[in-house]
Amino acid sequence: MEQFLGWTENPILLVLLSLGQILLVTVVLLLAIAFLLYFDRKVLAGTMLRKGPNVVGPFGLFQSFADFGKFVLKEMIIPAGANKTVFMIAPILATTLSLICWAVVPIAPGWVVSDLNVGVLYLLAMSSLGVYGVIMAGWASNSKYPFLGGLRSAAQMVSYEVSIGFVLVTVILLSGSMNLTTIVESQTGGFWNWYAFKLPTIIVMFPMMVIFFISALAETNRPPFDLPEAESELVAGYQVEYSGTPFLLIYLGEQIAITLMCAMTSVLFLGGWHSPVGDLGLFDENTLAGLLGTGTFESLIGAFWFALKVTFVFFMFAFVRALVPRYRYDQLMRLGWKIFLPTSLVAVLLISGYVVYTSAAAA
Amino acid sequence: MEVIAFSILSAIVLIAAFCVIAARNPVHSVLFLILAFFTSSGLLVLIGAEFLAMLLIVVYVGAVAVLFLFVVMMLDVDFVELKQGFLNYAPFGGVVALVFFAEIALVASAMGASRPETFDASPNAETNVEAIGQVMYTDYLLLFQISGIVLLIAMIGAIVLTLRHRPGVRRQSVEEQTGRKRADAVELKDVRPGQGI
Amino acid sequence: MNWDEIFAAATPELYLAFAGLIAVVLGAVLRERFATVSIKAGALILLGACALSLFNIEGGVAFNGLWETDRFTNLAKAVCYFCAGVALLIAEPYLVKERLIRYEYALLVIFASLGMGITLSANDLMTLYLGIETLSLSSYVLAAFNRDSQRSSEAGLKYFVLGALASGLILYGSSLVYGFSGSTNYDAIAQAEFGIGLVFGLVLLITGLAFKVSAAPLHVWTPDVYEGAPTPVVAFFASAPKLASMVVFATILFEAFGNAIDQWQDVILIISGASMLIGAFGALRQTNLKRLFAYSSIGNMGYALIALAAGEDIGGPALLVYMVIYALSQLGIFGVLLSMRRRGGMVEDISELSGLSSTMPWLAVCMTALVFSVAGIPPLGGFFGKLVVFQAGVEAGLWPIVIIGVIASVVSLGYYLRIIMIMWGGDKLAPFENMSGTVGITVSAATILAFPVFTVVIGWMMSLAGGSFSLG
Repeated sequence: MEQFLGWTENPILLVLLSLGQILLVTVVLLLAIAFLLYFDRKVLAGTMLRKGPNVVGPFGLFQSFADFGKFVLKEMIIPAGANKTVFMIAPILATTLSLICWAVVPIAPGWVVSDLNVGVLYLLAMSSLGVYGVIMAGWASNSKYPFLGGLRSAAQMVSYEVSIGFVLVTVILLSGSMNLTTIVESQTGGFWNWYAFKLPTIIVMFPMMVIFFISALAETNRPPFDLPEAESELVAGYQVEYSGTPFLLIYLGEQIAITLMCAMTSVLFLGGWHSPVGDLGLFDENTLAGLLGTGTFESLIGAFWFALKVTFVFFMFAFVRALVPRYRYDQLMRLGWKIFLPTSLVAVLLISGYVVYTSAAAA
Repeated sequence: MEVIAFSILSAIVLIAAFCVIAARNPVHSVLFLILAFFTSSGLLVLIGAEFLAMLLIVVYVGAVAVLFLFVVMMLDVDFVELKQGFLNYAPFGGVVALVFFAEIALVASAMGASRPETFDASPNAETNVEAIGQVMYTDYLLLFQISGIVLLIAMIGAIVLTLRHRPGVRRQSVEEQTGRKRADAVELKDVRPGQGI
Repeated sequence: MNWDEIFAAATPELYLAFAGLIAVVLGAVLRERFATVSIKAGALILLGACALSLFNIEGGVAFNGLWETDRFTNLAKAVCYFCAGVALLIAEPYLVKERLIRYEYALLVIFASLGMGITLSANDLMTLYLGIETLSLSSYVLAAFNRDSQRSSEAGLKYFVLGALASGLILYGSSLVYGFSGSTNYDAIAQAEFGIGLVFGLVLLITGLAFKVSAAPLHVWTPDVYEGAPTPVVAFFASAPKLASMVVFATILFEAFGNAIDQWQDVILIISGASMLIGAFGALRQTNLKRLFAYSSIGNMGYALIALAAGEDIGGPALLVYMVIYALSQLGIFGVLLSMRRRGGMVEDISELSGLSSTMPWLAVCMTALVFSVAGIPPLGGFFGKLVVFQAGVEAGLWPIVIIGVIASVVSLGYYLRIIMIMWGGDKLAPFENMSGTVGITVSAATILAFPVFTVVIGWMMSLAGGSFSLG
């Protein structure tokens, strides 16, 4: 958000400004998640021909806030045999780690808390840390089901990170940068310029998007890969012993990670803040853009498209949950190691060949 | 600003590193180790080597330490038993540690002369990533390839030591499972009442 | 990339790496069908590498100075590849009988040999470290290759844990050397100002390398690993890697720290003396033949270190000659151990040799000659090895260590003679099972090589190695 920082050199003000930005992103994100959760439940209900939440507020819109209140007010139970420090740190870690990932996500032109050069790697690093929340929660509960859940999730998340990493490499190769803003900018134009649909790499990149999406499901322990919390075998997996606010934090951390994965999919493959039809030249000095200033207006439009794409991907997450039965653990491992890993490796090979070929042809 | 950040980060690294060996619970040790890794990557960010910092987290914290934690949690390590051996070796270990400490102190005292004045984390390039890439695939290509072979050997070794093909064990064949047709499994019979098949 | 340079300097290693990778793919495709073929194919590949390194004996510099070969290293490489190939060939009957035959065995030996080639060609601490890791990782797995045997697993684990520590020491030493000389390249290190930081880096490097050649006081792993690991693996360990590590030890000290010989000579002398004495006295009490030869190898490393301490010009050729003779005779000795099989499995105890002279006279003759050669009895090859080493020591004015060496030789005669007395004098036991062709040929060939017919060859080698040393 450099455009807001240009006017001052005062370090204290700068720190306050960054804090303000962080607060803004967090609050907007949490609000968005409240409604995304509602959306999730509505989609699930719709597929099952139910009504879903419809009591609190108009159409049940405030259901998430009611849930929030319930969790906060409930008693927090710490099991006697638990390792108390780790038990309490785990949920905090889960939420914090998924929240700080959002620092590098470019929401609109110039709207990013920290424009890191190695943004993609930062995301990979922070989401790989997410496993600690789960594994610590599972271990500290000092109980069998949570422990099994924690171990399962550790193996699962580490496995799928590998293929996520290789998919990221293909995007990095195509855009030539690890900076997320640059990656989005390299997809300027209509949807035919987005990496998921751009010719001729669509042959490789569209499958890569699918692999990324499925790996994201596994990485965030979403159905059909929610084995760490498989209720038929492990009650609720690593969350069994949690209640009240700590449970809320774990749950919130998961939801933030899911939205992050949606945002990643749209940034890496769906052109981030770009509109699907390209710049139509509708806005000039005379219209609304003139009133707000071109830059701000563009950013607002960009943020709109970004939010729309995130919501679309989130819809896919919700839809998969409603439609696909849960995988068995060996199937999950087979999919990750024997199918996704080789496929994405071949994709890296193909894409790097393509990049070398085109850059040689250009030179 | 940087000095403050450096002091805080390195203090945390040192304390965490000490706690790794001082903690009674092995799981706590690993968690402190993770903290030490994480904070050291902060130190790398401070000198401008952000690529290395992220790699440290992705590789060590995200993958290696998870497996450490995995193993330590699964093993039921009896620390009382381990501590008993400790006292027997303590005098000898102490002597070795003292000698080593004295050596390092001597080396540190000699360090002043050769310390470079400035440090550039990304020479001849805009970013750290480019700087590393430029030498890794040109000057040091050989080392890069040998590292690949070392990893291959590690993989072969792991397979040699663990993979077993026991005869007589029923295994799943995914091809068979997915290739199964309805006609292979179910047969429709027209059963008349009172007659049986 | 200058391919001419690379081909001139690194053809054997490139060839080995490609052959190894192709073998991995073949193994993955053919699986069990590749198992027995792989041993012979692997031996052929290694012998090919041996021929290639002799063919390209002049060597050269490549990969921006990370890699340098000359006559000295190419000669060592050729012998290493040869020994590795032979060690692979004589392993087959054992592996088949013990149901250990898997194609990974050949792969690991090939990659271990590649590691030796890399360390021998290293002209940079980083290449050195990676080469050592290539060699060590394969060796750890080879030591534990009989994974269902507790002793083999224990050997692998011990080797791994201690080896990792030694690798850590080498890395730490390298980092100090880099920090104080500003480079990891041998030539640049040689030109750097020699300060206290470099001394500590050097000491740590020497410690790590001393572990790899199993010199005292870092020898403790050797008897356990020799005893626990499968015998053909030990035959391999005792020959090629020992030779490679020793020559690497020499190249790094001569090339990177050649000017600082005053600094490291004393350290090497102490290590050498301790190794000789521990080797000699430690072996006296052993009843297990593999343990006994482990101590014998510790002692022999001590003799080789005398040549190292004598410095580049005097000691270099002597070291190579000594190690080559040693490595070849070890192949023969372990060939004999490999043929010690009775109904029900391998026997390793020294008393099992009892009466061998009447049950299997040729084997007894071979073993006697080989043991005498290692002990350094005059007409045999080992004697000339010891002679050149002691000569080098005397020339460099290192009298005390030579005297210790002679004393240790006399003491070690004690246990060598015990083996021979048991073979020729003890009660007659049932004969061993018939040994297979390759093992028999190897044992016989090693025996013939132990005779001074080959002093001519040795002289030629010395001149060859010496020629390169005056250049390098």
